[in-house]
Amino acid sequence: MKEQLLQDGKAVGDRMSRVDGRLKVTGAATYSAEYALPNLVHAVLVGSTIAKGRIRSIDTKAAERAPGVLAVITHVNSPKVPGFAAKQNPDEPPTIGQPLRVFYDDKIYFNDQPIAVVVADTLERARYAAGLVKTQYAAEPHQTNFEANKARGFLPTQAKRNPKSPQNDYDRGQKDGYQSAPVKLEAEYVHESEMHNPMELQSIIAHWEAPDRLTVYDKVQAVKGTQRAFAKDWALPEENVKVIATFVGGAFGNGLHNWPHETAAIIAAKVTNRPVKLVLTREQMFTMVGYRPKTWQRVAMGATRDGKLVGITHECIGQTSSYEEFTESSVQQTRMMYAAPNVSTRYRILGLDISTPIWMRGPGEATGAFALESAIDEMAHLLNLDPLEFRLRNHTDTDPEKNKPWSTKYLKECFQAGAERIGWSKRRMQPGTLREGDWLVGYGMGVGTFGANRGVAKVRAVLRADGSVLLQSATTDIGPGTGTAMVQIAADALGLSPDKIRFELGNSTFPTAPSQGGSSTVNTVGSAVLAACTELKQKLQQLGGAAFAGAAPDQLTLAGGQLGLRTNAAAKASLADLRKQNNGQDIEVTTEAKPGDARQKYSMYSFSVHFAEVRVHALTGEVRVTKMVSCADAGTIVNQKTAGSQMIGGAIGGIGMALHEGALMDDRFGRYVTKDLADYHVPVHADAPPVEVFFVNKPDTLVDPIGTKGIGEIAIIGVAPAIANAIFNATGKRVRELPITPDKLI
Amino acid sequence: MAQENLNPTAPADDHDEARRTFLKQTSVLTALALTPGPVVQAAAAQWDEKVAAAFEKVPLKLDINGKKYRLQVEPRTTLLDLLREQLHLTGTKKGCDYGQCGACTVHVDGQRVNSCLTLAVMQDGRKVTTIEGLAEGDKLHPMQEAFIKHDGFQCGYCTPGQIMSAVACIREGHANSEGEIREYMSGNICRCGAYPNIVAAIQEVKNGGQKV
Amino acid sequence: MNQFQYVRPTKQKAAIEALARDANAQFIAGGTNLLDLMKRGVMQPQKLVDINRLPLNKIERMDGGIRIGALALNSAVAEDQLVQQQLPLLAQALNAGASAQLRNMATVGGNMLQRTRCHYFYDTALPCNKREPGSGCGALEGINRMHAIFGFSDKCIAVHPSDMSVALAALDATVLVSGPKGERRIAFLDFHRLPGDTPQKDTNLEQGELVVAVEVPENAFPKNVHYLKVRERASYAFALVSVAAALQLDGNTIKAARLAMGGVAHKPWRLTEAEAALVGKPATEETFRQAAAVAMQGAKAFKHNAYKLKLAPNSIVQALKNAAGLA
Ligand SMILES: Cc1cc2nc3c(=O)[nH]c(=O)nc-3n(C[C@H](O)[C@H](O)[C@H](O)COP(=O)(O)OP(=O)(O)OC[C@H]3O[C@@H](n4cnc5c(N)ncnc54)[C@H](O)[C@@H]3O)c2cc1C
Ligand code: FES
Ligand code: FES
Repeated sequence: MKEQLLQDGKAVGDRMSRVDGRLKVTGAATYSAEYALPNLVHAVLVGSTIAKGRIRSIDTKAAERAPGVLAVITHVNSPKVPGFAAKQNPDEPPTIGQPLRVFYDDKIYFNDQPIAVVVADTLERARYAAGLVKTQYAAEPHQTNFEANKARGFLPTQAKRNPKSPQNDYDRGQKDGYQSAPVKLEAEYVHESEMHNPMELQSIIAHWEAPDRLTVYDKVQAVKGTQRAFAKDWALPEENVKVIATFVGGAFGNGLHNWPHETAAIIAAKVTNRPVKLVLTREQMFTMVGYRPKTWQRVAMGATRDGKLVGITHECIGQTSSYEEFTESSVQQTRMMYAAPNVSTRYRILGLDISTPIWMRGPGEATGAFALESAIDEMAHLLNLDPLEFRLRNHTDTDPEKNKPWSTKYLKECFQAGAERIGWSKRRMQPGTLREGDWLVGYGMGVGTFGANRGVAKVRAVLRADGSVLLQSATTDIGPGTGTAMVQIAADALGLSPDKIRFELGNSTFPTAPSQGGSSTVNTVGSAVLAACTELKQKLQQLGGAAFAGAAPDQLTLAGGQLGLRTNAAAKASLADLRKQNNGQDIEVTTEAKPGDARQKYSMYSFSVHFAEVRVHALTGEVRVTKMVSCADAGTIVNQKTAGSQMIGGAIGGIGMALHEGALMDDRFGRYVTKDLADYHVPVHADAPPVEVFFVNKPDTLVDPIGTKGIGEIAIIGVAPAIANAIFNATGKRVRELPITPDKLI
Repeated sequence: MAQENLNPTAPADDHDEARRTFLKQTSVLTALALTPGPVVQAAAAQWDEKVAAAFEKVPLKLDINGKKYRLQVEPRTTLLDLLREQLHLTGTKKGCDYGQCGACTVHVDGQRVNSCLTLAVMQDGRKVTTIEGLAEGDKLHPMQEAFIKHDGFQCGYCTPGQIMSAVACIREGHANSEGEIREYMSGNICRCGAYPNIVAAIQEVKNGGQKV
Repeated sequence: MNQFQYVRPTKQKAAIEALARDANAQFIAGGTNLLDLMKRGVMQPQKLVDINRLPLNKIERMDGGIRIGALALNSAVAEDQLVQQQLPLLAQALNAGASAQLRNMATVGGNMLQRTRCHYFYDTALPCNKREPGSGCGALEGINRMHAIFGFSDKCIAVHPSDMSVALAALDATVLVSGPKGERRIAFLDFHRLPGDTPQKDTNLEQGELVVAVEVPENAFPKNVHYLKVRERASYAFALVSVAAALQLDGNTIKAARLAMGGVAHKPWRLTEAEAALVGKPATEETFRQAAAVAMQGAKAFKHNAYKLKLAPNSIVQALKNAAGLA
């Protein structure tokens, strides 16, 4: 198979199986809690049971006396973290404000805030002793009720400080220009807080290898960012902090922030002078590592009778904590998705006595798309138009927000492919009229978009004596198959069989790369792989001497343990010779790649459209998604198999968003009551229909030289409204509050 | 009561011997007593820790992936924590610790169970198979091959549980249709949403007729 | 989890004695409920009596019915030929519960003795009269989507989560128990209790009593049965409402009926009046609607569970339709 790839010169595009597949199916892949360090001890966090106030006293005696306990650390006895004092108001996203300083003082900001950590020689003993910590509080009245506090929503500080911030108010044409349209609608949309709930519990092993040298095996999406954060916290040179995240058991965004439990473990390791393992409980995953914030939205829309949008007004209030301003792009797609002359958007946040949210897959866009794409469907219904046709009538071939051409946009191709595959022609214009026995059948669609982002990254490429190439970059892989894609890109770039290439990631000692987030890893790191491979070949070309002089890099091959030339079979240089030219050393380059200025001239987005077929039980209100088709205009598809899996995963995540997910809080206590996987439902096998995936697969080389635009986010953005719209089509019931559980349909 | 005569610090063999003698001697009770009561209290009353720790533990025999283990464990240790934390068989995953996700699925005497909701001591004398014991040396189990081929995972964290469950699903005779597979695999959550690919992998193995 | 004494008797008598000696002792069977609660500090027994090596897992035909040992696994019962032929309603109910793995661990005795899934019961930081008598009922004025519409008290509005028990209630089963004072039989409908002023007591089992078996009498419902479970996802979730329906049909006329509901009360909710309303009537949707209306008399909802007032009767209709083959 691999030789074949080389013959047509293409690993990119192949359905190559994952390079780490074998490790994952044999249980040999090592996740962060699974490193067997000598002398390792276990830490368990104790959380507060009030939502706001102060700790009056905390009695740790019983816990300290319990068998096997090495330390009980609270704000009373915690060593000071040097960076905590200095960490006032860092002006950096994701959050402006003061990230929670664990064990810093007696203040309680949210229910289940970590207030103590118990360290013991075994997990059982640590867990038991944690239950012995007794706390007295001076409680203060808390505010966790979104509805009751909605009026307190405010413009994020980020926007106040920076007039260019996209979080600012936006008006195109007339403010609230929709009002002048002959056909108008206004609707409010709400969803509860949603939890990332990756299957791997958030975990860390913290190990002080020397008093000034820290290694953490941490479940994060940014090894470099984490390294910087902890170096700052502990006033250490960056190189003294090492972050390992070789395998990450899902994250969906919650590894994009550093959280109190990580520092708690580092403190515990400092105090006990032992490597400390800390794994959150599933309940703690609801309070300590972020979530998609509960959000209220209002969309007002006006159109002409022949289906031209006159205006859209989109307002949004998302919740955040009292101590950090979390923001996301919930209203921004409304500015660029449709050719409406008048668009107004308002984005506000609402600080409550809860923990800080963090971007969750398809972050704000998934939230915004639920409102926008539902409203589009509502308007199409008012106009008695097919919602696909309505979207086509308002399609735009340039970015109406930035007044720039799209780098590429193949959304119409997606519409067509998706409509065919789902069987859109079966959809009835009149809701509630298609029935199979006791089940009402409906079809719906929803569009998604996300910026085709690209950052700066470096990659090291090493040609080793055995003819294999090792690539390293400090990116991570939370599941999309980063290593696999990078090997494919490198295989083509080097003219080398993929099995001769190894890509290593998840280690902060590797050349720098940004966090794995925002669907930009292949765009960013893939480009750096390409650049490093190109530079490596140029270096080989030089070492190879006259025979190779002047050849274009893509004519050079590395197959068979020698440098060759596609255009001239006679030109050959053995690896041994090349190494000799290199003083017997491995031939190595480290190359940086950054985006070019095309970004200034073009508007760059990935697009998706999702089609859903649902059945709703006429008597019980149960919903079954029976088929989904997800289509993506995501540029070059490096690996059809793994990219397909991302799309499928996004569709199923979207089913959860639409039908199942929402953490309920009892506001009297400011405490979640649905906080495990039995009470907070995510889709199971029985909820997951076949998902057909269609990729346009046309390169966008303005975004990056490989032509990719990003998949992870658009895979989920637009799915929830597609399902909500299909439910409306099936039943005639418009549900504007997620999740759409049976009680809302009977 | 006789069970307090047992010497819990004795090596497993002696322990068994003591147990056998005890069983012969006692006519009323044939209880297999594994933790002497006062000992637990002794620990709570802060006796010397090492003594207390030794007393808290009970002997346990397990066959794990064909290897025989003789262990001393605290009765409160779950099978999952024993595998992961003490035996470093970390292929079996913890996704919830409450029986709500299936990541910890292993086979006990050939049946799939959630190892987080059973005490290790309850499985005394049983045969446990974990993901590490599924392949035959270098040769992957057909289900492992099929998962790779169909990309039945992304992050890979639920994967060992899915595979153990999938193998059992076929062995139990619950893999006869896509619908049946989906229902009988529903105890294994995949947050990455690899479900359709997992079902495809199971169908291929089932239809391939290989021995699972 | 606290440390506890662990004993594993092989004789029933020893097990009962081991428990009787210690007010703080608990039997452990599959452990799927007890260990869950122990991990969260909801239950803290000082001693566990592991009953798994007692010979109580047989499923056998007996005079006038089928006897199922308390330690028979939920999966074993659901897959048993005899059960599938004669008690298909029970098999359906069992298969609707939990997951394949959990059913391989959960026992018949443990299933009926599983505790409520009420959020307030599960979180030791929140009030719950069932867990901590006198602390108040968190659900009464709290989040009560999942809670009772029948038979609750102002002390507790929790529901019993078992699916299996709903079928056993419909099938007039009897529970065989053995305790320090000897053996006794408890009608299944008297096994679980309503909360009243003592919600800490789920059942009428006395301290130290061991469930030995369940007997299901011969019945006229080898077919025309349906266990309908409405939940928030397609599988692996507790019921919002469930219905066990069994019909004996003579042509289109209902000769006998059994009906019970889950997810609506502190115990499996048998609907004898609705059954009476079915007998002698034609098996039509109209008849089922009337019976459902009878079933709902006296139902009362709280802030978040008003939907059950509609979902429950609708589910009864649907379950009966399915049982009658009308769907
Ligand atoms: C994630 C999850 C989902 C679930 N979903 C469902 C569902 O959808 N439907 C459903 O019905 N159930 C469901 N369950 C509950 C499951 O069915 C019960 O946990 C199980 O049936 C309990 O049986 P066990 O043998 O494991 O009991 P154990 O946990 O061992 O015991 C439970 C209680 O019964 C007592 N006990 C056990 N056996 C006896 C006996 N013979 N005599 C006296 N006392 C005894 C124990 O002391 C203990 O107090 C679910 C459980 C989980 C964890
Ligand atoms: S860890 Fe056992 S089921 Fe989740
Ligand atoms: S592969 Fe990530 S949870 Fe299943």
